[in-house]
Amino acid sequence: MIDGARASLWRRLLHHRGARASLVLLLLLATLVTVVPMISPFEYDQEDLDLIGQPSQPGRAHWFGTDELGQDSLTRVMYGGRISLAVGLASALVATFLGTAIGALAGFFGGTIDAGLMRFTDVILSIPLLPLVLLLSGLFRPGLPLLVMSIGGLTWMGTARVVRSQFLSLRELEFVDAARALGAGNGRLIVRHILPNAAAPIIVSATLAVGSSIMLESALSFLGFGVQPPTPTWGNLLKTASPWIGAAPWLVLPPGLLIFATVLAVNFLGDGLREALEAKQ
Amino acid sequence: MSPQFLLRRLVGMVPLLLGISLVLFMIIHLAPGGPLDAYVDNPSVTPEALAQIKVAYGLDQPLPVQYLKWIKSMAQGVWGYSIRSGRPVTQEIAERLPATLLLGGTALVLSMALALPIGVVTAALRRSAWDHALTFLSFAGISIPVFWLALMMQLLFAISLGWLPVAGYETIGAAGLLDRLAHLAMPAVVLSLATVAAWSRFLRASMVDALGQDYIRTAYAKGHSPAGVLIKHALRNALLPVVTVVSMEMASIISGAVITETVFAWPGIGRLFVESMDGRDYPVLMGLMMMGSAALVVSNLAADVVYALIDPRIRYD
Amino acid sequence: MPAIDALLLTLAAAAIAPQLETAPPVQAAPLRAAPLQAAPMRAAPIHGGTLTVGLPYDIDTLNVYSTAELGDVEAAVVEGLLAPDEHAKYIPVLATEVPTLENGGIQLTQGGSAMRVVYHLRPGVKWHDGADFTAADVKFTWETVRDPRFLAESKDGSQDVTSIDTPDDLTVVVNYRAISPAFASTLFTFGILPRHLLEGHDLNHDVYNQKPVGTGPFKVSEFRRGQYVVLDRNPFYWRRDEQGASLPYLDRVIFKIIASSNTLGALIRAGDVLLAPRIPYMLAKQLQGARNIELVSGPSLGWVHLDFGLKSGSKLRDPVLRRAIAEAINRAALVKAAGGYPQAIRSPIVPLLESLYDSSPDASAPAYDPDAANQALDAAGYRRGPDGYRSKDGAPLQFWITTRSGEIDGEIGEQIIMAELKAIGIRISADNKSGIAYREARYRGDFDLLYSRWVTASDPVYSVFYGSHGPLNGQGYASAELDAALARMETSIEPAPRRAAARDVQRILAQDLPAVPLINMVSIAAKTRRLKNFTTNPTNMTDFIGIARWYLEPSQAGTP
Repeated sequence: MIDGARASLWRRLLHHRGARASLVLLLLLATLVTVVPMISPFEYDQEDLDLIGQPSQPGRAHWFGTDELGQDSLTRVMYGGRISLAVGLASALVATFLGTAIGALAGFFGGTIDAGLMRFTDVILSIPLLPLVLLLSGLFRPGLPLLVMSIGGLTWMGTARVVRSQFLSLRELEFVDAARALGAGNGRLIVRHILPNAAAPIIVSATLAVGSSIMLESALSFLGFGVQPPTPTWGNLLKTASPWIGAAPWLVLPPGLLIFATVLAVNFLGDGLREALEAKQ
Repeated sequence: MSPQFLLRRLVGMVPLLLGISLVLFMIIHLAPGGPLDAYVDNPSVTPEALAQIKVAYGLDQPLPVQYLKWIKSMAQGVWGYSIRSGRPVTQEIAERLPATLLLGGTALVLSMALALPIGVVTAALRRSAWDHALTFLSFAGISIPVFWLALMMQLLFAISLGWLPVAGYETIGAAGLLDRLAHLAMPAVVLSLATVAAWSRFLRASMVDALGQDYIRTAYAKGHSPAGVLIKHALRNALLPVVTVVSMEMASIISGAVITETVFAWPGIGRLFVESMDGRDYPVLMGLMMMGSAALVVSNLAADVVYALIDPRIRYD
Repeated sequence: MPAIDALLLTLAAAAIAPQLETAPPVQAAPLRAAPLQAAPMRAAPIHGGTLTVGLPYDIDTLNVYSTAELGDVEAAVVEGLLAPDEHAKYIPVLATEVPTLENGGIQLTQGGSAMRVVYHLRPGVKWHDGADFTAADVKFTWETVRDPRFLAESKDGSQDVTSIDTPDDLTVVVNYRAISPAFASTLFTFGILPRHLLEGHDLNHDVYNQKPVGTGPFKVSEFRRGQYVVLDRNPFYWRRDEQGASLPYLDRVIFKIIASSNTLGALIRAGDVLLAPRIPYMLAKQLQGARNIELVSGPSLGWVHLDFGLKSGSKLRDPVLRRAIAEAINRAALVKAAGGYPQAIRSPIVPLLESLYDSSPDASAPAYDPDAANQALDAAGYRRGPDGYRSKDGAPLQFWITTRSGEIDGEIGEQIIMAELKAIGIRISADNKSGIAYREARYRGDFDLLYSRWVTASDPVYSVFYGSHGPLNGQGYASAELDAALARMETSIEPAPRRAAARDVQRILAQDLPAVPLINMVSIAAKTRRLKNFTTNPTNMTDFIGIARWYLEPSQAGTP
């Protein structure tokens, strides 16, 4: 995209109220979770022996209270944001990359390659997500890279379909013939010529993928799959707080609300992007 | 829609199902321990007994032979016995299926009943306050973690207010329609929330597309009432893509909704799956996974058929 | 516009994704310890009423020998020859007295190297279907349990029996191949199987697994898998109370299967569940002070411990390291996190086993002394790096810790240990497993540190855990000296030699430290104040073994 187009896209995006607010929120959140190690008086895994046993209420020393190990809830929520956001972004990147790669190859080459890749996509789509995830959890040691690969590796299919249909239509256009005539090979054609023009839905898809990745991570944490305590993520914080939902609701609200707010913001941002890109067409 | 179309689609299902079965089979046999996991480290099971079980399950045969035998028995409806309970797998699944279908079906109906009006209204009243409010609510619905919602609802409606039962399928000894509805209320709402949100967004976008078409403007110009145009023309066409989404959701009902079932102690397929996973009850796992996959494949086919029926313009070769 | 379609499909898929949740079933920890609370005996127990029980696990089968869970429901339906009471002492049930050396029930044979146990059976006992209970049923039970085709969890003891004679319908003579002081722990105590219903049947697939027939105070009316079991009173139950009235007092017992601890708590508070046995400390802490609910804690023969993986190549084979780790653990924090219910212990033999427990310092694991731990590690060459973690010769000192995932109390305890070991410079990461995967890791020794628990019978056999060939010894620990001491302990019928051998066992274990004993478990049951005569049972036979005597006071209007 040339600069002028990019600037007007930006303007259109900011015009969308939801997207504007979301951008502000996400930036604020990102800043907070980045600086927390510098500003918090507590470590995220610092247990307070005096407070062990029951979660303690919010107070002057601990603004969000503590969990039943005496760990400061606010610090843990902020640290949790680092991981949840990072996992969300990374998984979305993996899913987008995989989906784009597969969709591009299928859409560009067509024929048997397309048929083969789409059958493969269909097979993966047709197996209920849950069993795959559970089986994976039984096979490997939990950890961040595995978590990112699993989420990314199981959510690329939608992007692949989008990219494929984009490539199917774009490859018929004249500029492709022109580039080919100038001696461009397939690889160059795909990456340098067609892909940039297919960027719009890919970007939107990637944005939405962040939201669903964050949701999936929190759901997977209920499994004990993924990041293990004491390292906090919003998902596993919810898991440890949910038994206390009646007796200590101040533990459950922050991670739940933050997941909610972040996913909401990401969805609005995606929606705003979609409208901004649509208007261009 | 021609019989050849239908036949071709049916035939196309077979390789897909075979492909899925192959993937599932390989996963089970590649998992550390394999299908006899539940017995291998059991101190009460002697090596001789283990060897006997191996032969009984046909696990001493080479893998391709095992695969073919398994396919054959699956097709014949012989799904083996559950390791945990000793009962036939088909019986285990059949027992839990009605509860799952009831919950999933109710959630589905609820989703459709709500998504339809919301989708139509937000599309027709685009950019109005209504649209913004409902859109916000839709996005909110997609963004709430389901287990959090389930717990909060339970806290509010069952524990604090006491309006609804905390959990379970029915009150023992006092089962009836009203009782069942009371137990169904919270889990169905929790389950349907995200789909209502997603479907209404989807329908809205689809409607917006449809409303932008030329024939709509023509209809308005011809003097048809706005409501009539909306429903008779735009909606009919906007529903088409929704059919695909709904059918996918229908199929995933069969896989059960595990956390909802756990929080509300609903005796469904989702919980059966987790218990079987924990107990390495592979016969049940395989049966469940095949069933879930087959449901998705069949629902895709059904979606295509419905699509073709509704839209006479569509021709597949 | 196809692109938009697909995009929105993605959104729809994203909406579906959050519904793909799973939660591991919450396993109740059979946790016990702390002072006994005996319910005061009322003058006139009330007959009638329905007791609703909340079970935190899903029932796999109602066959007590093949279930992987504890046999709560079975204990109300099926009876054995003997049973351990709330003091972990055996009392006669279907036998008329407990066989001992003194009363001639146990006779030494083959020059004192083997034994035979004689049971005199109670006359007039009937199965739930009206048939007579006889010695043939006992013999049948042994034959069935030991049959290798019967795939069962609990076959202990069946291989020790060489033959059984039944000279008449009410006498059973069990011949053992050696001396087995723990003969009553599983076989026959778990329950007797009805020969007339099961002979010739394949017990792996029989309807008995869904509807067991026994001689107990209740019979199974209905079993809805995943939901509930309904038991109704056995009107022909043989036991009567002191006034001669027939037992049981209750009319009906409903066991509800509640997979989620939160839901269980909610149901208890709402009065939908009147009794919840073996609740996690987490739930107990939340229920403290709730109206109309009593928390009953009882001692347990179970204990929590930290095991070391000792396979060859493991750094933990270094005894200095193990000792330092033991000294770094502050049991007080573990007790506090568990609501103060359990008791700190430093021996695997729990204090409740008074005839075996030894509290002398050389028979106890090291006490909390982080300074000593740090010094020892410094001296051994494990230097602290700038991040506080130690390493030696370039190899960082770090380990995985494993516990059963889904068990809240275990996960909390694990966290505390991780923090305490971090304080002495060892990096620990959690690697929790659920269900069968956990069991496998435990049996195969696929762990560095294992935070787990064992519950013994009231005649404990420790060789299964610490003997070189112990079936539950996955660690790789082997000590000839310990094996000898264990053999002495487990083949002496006389109390004095047993105690001396037990002291040796504890001493060797304190020295070698293959595992660090941490806390003695407590069994906490939450119950309505209306339930009387309830006592907790510290053994693996569950609290329900005493259900015949429980009764419910009528509720006042408006209270649960």
